Amino acid sequence: MSQPSLELIKKEIETILPRYPRKEAAILPALHLVQRRLGYITAESEKLVAQVLGVRPVRVREVVTFYTMFSQKPLGKYHLQVCSNLSCTLAGGETVLDYLREKLKIKVGETTADGRFTLTTVECLGACDQAPCLMVNDDLHGRLDKTKIDELLARLE
Amino acid sequence: MSERVISRDFEMAHLFEIGVYLERGGYGAARQALQLKPEEIVEEIKKASLRGRGGAGFPAGLKWSFVPKVDKPKYLCVNADEGEPGTFKDRFIMSHNPHLLIEGIIITSYAVGINLAFIYIRGEYELIAQRLEKAIAEAKEKGFLGKNIFDSGFNLEVVVHRGAGAYICGEETALLESLEGKRGHPRLKPPFPASVGLFQMPTVINNVETIANVPYIIQKGAAWFTGLGLPKDGGTRLFGVSGMVERPGVYELPVGTPLRRIIFDYGGGVKNGRKLKGVIPGGMSAPILLPEEIDVPMDCESVAKIGSMLGSGAIIVIDDQTPILEVLRLVTKFYSHESCGQCTPCRLGTSWINKIVKRIVAGQGRKGDIDQIERLASQIKGRTLCPLGDAAAMPILALVKKFRQELEAQLTH
Amino acid sequence: MPKITIDGQTLEVAEGTTILKAAGQAGIHIPHLCYHPAFAPEGSCRLCLVEIEGAAKLELSCSTVVRDGMVVRTQSEKVKEARRSVLEFLLAEHPLDCPICDKAGECKLQDYYEAYGLFPSQFREVKEKRAKLVRIGRNLILDRERCIQCTRCVRFLLEITKTGELGVFQRGIHSEIGIYEGEPVDNNYSGNLAELCPVGAITDLDFRFKTRSWFLNSRPSICPLCSRGCAIAIESHKGLPRVELGQRVYRVKSRENPAVNQYWICDLGRYSYKYLDEARVEHPAQVVNGRKIGLSWDKIFIILSEKIRGLLIRKRTSRLAIVLNSALTNEELFLVKRLFQQELNVSRIIFSDPPDDKGDGLLLTAERTPNRRGALALGFELKGNWEELKKDKIDLLLIFASHLPEAIPLSWLQAEAVNIETKVLFTCRESNLDWLVDFVLPTAPIAEKQGSLTNIDGRVQNFKPALEPWGESWPEWQILVRLAREVPVNFRFFGSLNSIEAIQQSMAGEIPGLISSP
Repeated sequence: MSQPSLELIKKEIETILPRYPRKEAAILPALHLVQRRLGYITAESEKLVAQVLGVRPVRVREVVTFYTMFSQKPLGKYHLQVCSNLSCTLAGGETVLDYLREKLKIKVGETTADGRFTLTTVECLGACDQAPCLMVNDDLHGRLDKTKIDELLARLE
Repeated sequence: MSERVISRDFEMAHLFEIGVYLERGGYGAARQALQLKPEEIVEEIKKASLRGRGGAGFPAGLKWSFVPKVDKPKYLCVNADEGEPGTFKDRFIMSHNPHLLIEGIIITSYAVGINLAFIYIRGEYELIAQRLEKAIAEAKEKGFLGKNIFDSGFNLEVVVHRGAGAYICGEETALLESLEGKRGHPRLKPPFPASVGLFQMPTVINNVETIANVPYIIQKGAAWFTGLGLPKDGGTRLFGVSGMVERPGVYELPVGTPLRRIIFDYGGGVKNGRKLKGVIPGGMSAPILLPEEIDVPMDCESVAKIGSMLGSGAIIVIDDQTPILEVLRLVTKFYSHESCGQCTPCRLGTSWINKIVKRIVAGQGRKGDIDQIERLASQIKGRTLCPLGDAAAMPILALVKKFRQELEAQLTH
Repeated sequence: MPKITIDGQTLEVAEGTTILKAAGQAGIHIPHLCYHPAFAPEGSCRLCLVEIEGAAKLELSCSTVVRDGMVVRTQSEKVKEARRSVLEFLLAEHPLDCPICDKAGECKLQDYYEAYGLFPSQFREVKEKRAKLVRIGRNLILDRERCIQCTRCVRFLLEITKTGELGVFQRGIHSEIGIYEGEPVDNNYSGNLAELCPVGAITDLDFRFKTRSWFLNSRPSICPLCSRGCAIAIESHKGLPRVELGQRVYRVKSRENPAVNQYWICDLGRYSYKYLDEARVEHPAQVVNGRKIGLSWDKIFIILSEKIRGLLIRKRTSRLAIVLNSALTNEELFLVKRLFQQELNVSRIIFSDPPDDKGDGLLLTAERTPNRRGALALGFELKGNWEELKKDKIDLLLIFASHLPEAIPLSWLQAEAVNIETKVLFTCRESNLDWLVDFVLPTAPIAEKQGSLTNIDGRVQNFKPALEPWGESWPEWQILVRLAREVPVNFRFFGSLNSIEAIQQSMAGEIPGLISSP
């Protein structure tokens, strides 16, 4: 799968700008867009966003490193984000995490060698009625147990 | 069975499609509101005693009335960041009934003189954001958004803006900073957002659930609203029940419903027949309550009176099999992770306390550690730039105060 | 005008004054780290919290505006405890670097701990480890373990230089200051960051590990490198027994002057102090056959006054030519005018200044001498036409080069030297000019003398010596007065000019705005 060019990304960002009274306000949607297209925030894309929004690259770096959803390293095809907050932990969230570590043979923060899975822990996902939860990219999965996890991993090619 | 208002039609399939919403009488309140004078709407919301449902509980009508009548662009920011641990009600509202929120936004914006509204939604709610954007497009197509809505001369655009993983951006001034394209660093107050807000312009920031109540108040009146709840704290709340409870979920109940009833009559009681150890009544930032305290009515004033807060109405049930150290660990981990890092007491205090707790969890607790945690937390309380400091300190102080013996027993050295 | 009572003292302040500023007016210092008068209040260090009667919580004094009738306490137990806790939090993660940190002795964390802390450390955890040698600019090093996140550096670059090179990365306890790779702090005000940093997080490579702040005297002066006339402080070694001297001047710091440079100086002024100690002309000398032969000043004055007397008697003072520069002080230029132009009727007086360079839009002016305005106010035309000097034979050429001998065209002197009977060079710096003249006489630069200079806005600024004269250096004003007395010329006038104050009094009316030195 080829990566979209920075030119194309630039054009996409430019369509977002008119929604805001000031260009700089579009930095979060611009970075979300970059991460969706490139898989992570590259140094080049930081400079591109800076240029389109009329700010210095350092301002973009400030934002990229503040918000946890942006990654400066390549992410796996499936980013498994396991909730490690109160309700999920009470419901067995640590077991979910341990099981995934065991199955994928990676530590938290790492990506599998084949580039399929990245495993991270996150704070409350706002789905506490379905604890324990995790998100795979944009999709929420709740009421997890070992069986459900096995099924989930099998579906993710 | 009490009246469900916000969640009335949640089970209806495809309520998020405008056709279904309209069939249920949707956008009728907005149409009605745009016939009224803006001041009339503000007055009605004030009379309804609609208090903010995000956490602070500030009266919405009063907040709206702080916006000066100046000829400057004004903004509405709907706080859909929903980061308070244990809270998931806004997810329900926006997934099941996005048009209700949009209708509330129309009325609110008209009342305050706002022509551009942002929904600041947490980045993790991407799919819900897409649903909102579809709903906005539908509303625009029908002429409910855009120019000259309902032939009133009133224009309104709504933009969905995604956050990117920062609990602090649920704090209203940090939300503004984030929307302006910066790090989510809270601002000094005063000045307050009503006068100096987004891009230095007058801005109203309200929680999703708060706005979602507005159409019903317009349709049925302030008296009806206070009648549902309490005179000074009207309406219903979407209580999110989770933790060691049989039936976790969202329960819409009148303001003032006793906590005990919510947990046992609606939530099904403590899971697996265990005993209750403690309850967090309003999201992690609300100090924990002991079993003997759960007869408290769930309204802002009553919960505050017993030293906690109604907050986001997120009820987390802790059973007797859960070590309190575990709760403390998760609390200190969360706040130290989410501290923006601007001010000294929060940045360094939450981290220091977290280091102590991690050491205790690792079996290296020393005599005096609990005293130290208590001392440090009380040095954070009331001294920080924004409420996150208190949100961290007060739960920690409550855990230490109410479960000291159990915590002291964890110190092995 | 609202009234406020602070620690029992009641005072009236202007509308909009903050409690911090009001306290300062009452002589009460409220400790602060992130606050700086040049920027809007930041409110993040929390050290300036004070007690306001009637308020539930302690409030920030840096940002809270005084309301009429406010009662504030800055010394109550609650305030003291709050201050201690801020210091405790900062010190918890602060490295014990004092023994090797350049900021020791002028560090706010040290000062405030001494004043408001003095508690034993209770931190028993593992401190965060961070990078300690981050190059963020050509002369700046950032130590992230020492950084207290006051963000003064970030805000300076955003609000003053408007270049914004520094940013805050990460979040919470992991927050750190840094640059974007390839975009270091690269502007003419970078040196201010090391001064601005309240602790030793940002240090200056120019000063790193060289000496201790308490070995230095700090004396006020005015920067002579452009026409702005920034207030500076020259820091020179006290010279203590058993302490290695190293160099005389260790650094130049900025000094507050709201009317001229606010709180800053540019890097040119900050880092160009080596000329004060290096390649200085130390003793008066006669240049004979490529060698310098030391003479006493007394002998020099005998020789020079004889030459001038000779020309005076033969009514040939037109054979005198003077080369000046606009780094000379108002008093010195006045003396030249009085002695040579008026009393001795010398008409060939030209100025040799370095060429204008680029101003930087902030403090640094295009004019690179400090007293061009003073020269103009005294009626000098700042002609630099060397050819004019060739109109008639020159028997005695006096070149006043101050600290700028490179402004004198070598080639002109090389060509004409043989036609000029006697050439005298008054300068503080050695250069190749030395070999083209007959006498090289040491002068004291601005840092080593007293006087006044008129800056680009026409502001006359008095200054006193910040250093002892190097070797046998004399201020030009003393040379001129002595010369006048020895010729003699108008002894009644020049004989009374024993001090700068005396000169300024006799100058009254000549320089608009000149008020005598106190």
